Amino acid sequence: MNTEQETKARWGRSRFGGSQAMLIIVSLLAGAVLSLGAGLLFATLNFPGDFVLAALIMAAGLLPVLSVGCWALLLDRSTLRGATKNPEISVESQWYDKAAVGVFQDILLVCGLGAAVLSFIEVQASTGLILAGVVGLAMADFGVRYLLIKRAEG
Amino acid sequence: MENSLPDHRKKRGLSQQALADALGVSRQTIISLEKGRYDPSLPLAFKLSALFGCRIEDLFQPDDE
Repeated sequence: MNTEQETKARWGRSRFGGSQAMLIIVSLLAGAVLSLGAGLLFATLNFPGDFVLAALIMAAGLLPVLSVGCWALLLDRSTLRGATKNPEISVESQWYDKAAVGVFQDILLVCGLGAAVLSFIEVQASTGLILAGVVGLAMADFGVRYLLIKRAEG
Repeated sequence: MENSLPDHRKKRGLSQQALADALGVSRQTIISLEKGRYDPSLPLAFKLSALFGCRIEDLFQPDDE
């Protein structure tokens, strides 16, 4: 047990080998490269006048998300301290499934009713903002539902 | 679903965390199972019966209708 615990780290290790620090550094670097690329593309397409500022703001916003994404892709889950070996048969997996089913039904309802209402009223809005709103709603809905299920069944 | 999981676990001198580690699940899973708030999947039920050396029916009993 101790040996197993010693091989595990708080942030885990890469599936390609190396230490925990290496995984963090590679994730941050990969996240920085990707976010900078996305920032440059965003500024080129949308803000050629304020190119540098727009690119930096976009890159700064994307850096944490993309770094965590890279970490999740590179991580060897078996080296992560506290991670259960069989999450698919843990109760949290059932809570996740229940919350996700509820979110799906809510999204169908909200988008269906919204589409019906908007077919009568003409509203001009950015497609990107609408999609971001739907994603934000789904995430918030999921969080609330998961917590409620956890409280009721935990 | 009713279950005799706490009895089997205590007979073996296992804590909830030790049982969770042996099964590769979270401690919350064991807590929910013992409270009868979580019906285990078949793979988990088979793992439990193998661990305790008994039949699944010895561990879990359906509620009376």
